[in-house]
Amino acid sequence: MKAEQQQSIPPGSATFPSQMPRPPPVTEQAITTEAELLSKSHITPNDVLALPGITQGFLCSPSANIYNIEFTKFQIRDLDTQHILFEIAKPEEQENEETPAESARYVRYRFAPNFLKLKTVGASVEFKVGEIPIHHFRMIERHFFKDRLLKCFDFEFGFCIPNSRNNCEHIYNFPQLSQQLMDDMINNPNETRSDSFYFVDNKLVMHNKADYSYDA
Amino acid sequence: MGFLNILRKQRAREREMRILILGLDNAGKTTLMKKFLDEPTDSIEPTLGFDIKTVHFKGFQLNLWDVGGQKSLRSYWKNYFESTDALIWVVDSSDRERLTQCAEELKKLLLEERLSGASLLVLANKSDVPTALDVSRIAETLDLQSIRSHHWKIFSCCALSGERLIQAMTWLCDDVGSRIFILD
Repeated sequence: MKAEQQQSIPPGSATFPSQMPRPPPVTEQAITTEAELLSKSHITPNDVLALPGITQGFLCSPSANIYNIEFTKFQIRDLDTQHILFEIAKPEEQENEETPAESARYVRYRFAPNFLKLKTVGASVEFKVGEIPIHHFRMIERHFFKDRLLKCFDFEFGFCIPNSRNNCEHIYNFPQLSQQLMDDMINNPNETRSDSFYFVDNKLVMHNKADYSYDA
Repeated sequence: MGFLNILRKQRAREREMRILILGLDNAGKTTLMKKFLDEPTDSIEPTLGFDIKTVHFKGFQLNLWDVGGQKSLRSYWKNYFESTDALIWVVDSSDRERLTQCAEELKKLLLEERLSGASLLVLANKSDVPTALDVSRIAETLDLQSIRSHHWKIFSCCALSGERLIQAMTWLCDDVGSRIFILD
């Protein structure tokens, strides 16, 4: 019907559309596609911030991590009850393993529905780095449910001391979600997803992925 | 507990503050920070890198950077000076032997151009230890009275009980806030 109307408008005339057209939102960065990024020699923070959603694949290979950045612990705690809700630590004896396999880059989390009702949480990561000093270490983590952006963390760790073991905890108010959205997230396991991008000197060196279900 | 009560009352208005926490090794930097954030303090190991916390407090987003204090790590401190709004210098009040060394390290920091203008909070930690020096003696040894380049204040505190910690952090946030957000 719309197409018909378009065609019936003769060239060189003006009409008043009955409904105002909605142009795409103006963003600071140009919207980009995954394919475009994969063809670049290196990927920058602005590149991933301009992605419209979760990526289908990894934007760099495990070998891009020339700094031997290795995550050794993740923890989520509830500050209102002081409970540790989730903790995963890499066993010490595995620590000297070779470059992580592809499978180590994708994590699947499963939580109970009430996880979505938390108020104040602390999410921490522990990581160690190799002998090369790291400047401008930055993390960008984007959480989506289907194509909707739920939360974006953008944090610059800055400098990492050679051979150091470091910890970072973000304490934040959990996003308030509508009941409808919570139900959708619970009823669609693994459709809540995140991309974690790590940059050194504005170049992507690590990309990890996760998905989440809330029906446990 | 006190911290959470305050946190709940805050309006979530984002104003960021970068706070660098330094001091000799074993001063109690990590313990203080964990106590401030209601985290268990019973199994703390020497920090062999950094320990960062980001948290909302008093209407600010505080980015707390606790960097290890061992001698081999101190030469890396300078990598964390950039954009620092406040410096917390943690002193072990019971470590009489190294108090001179502690004063020297602080003096060096105060000469750093990239830290100029940062508010200085000195925490005389472990004040509960029977052999601890009195806070006025520590202020004297650190020669705080002669500091002209920074706003400063000293509090005695105890990281394990959290005593006076909220009070000290409140002073720091107020001082930085009145200085850097004056145009708001």
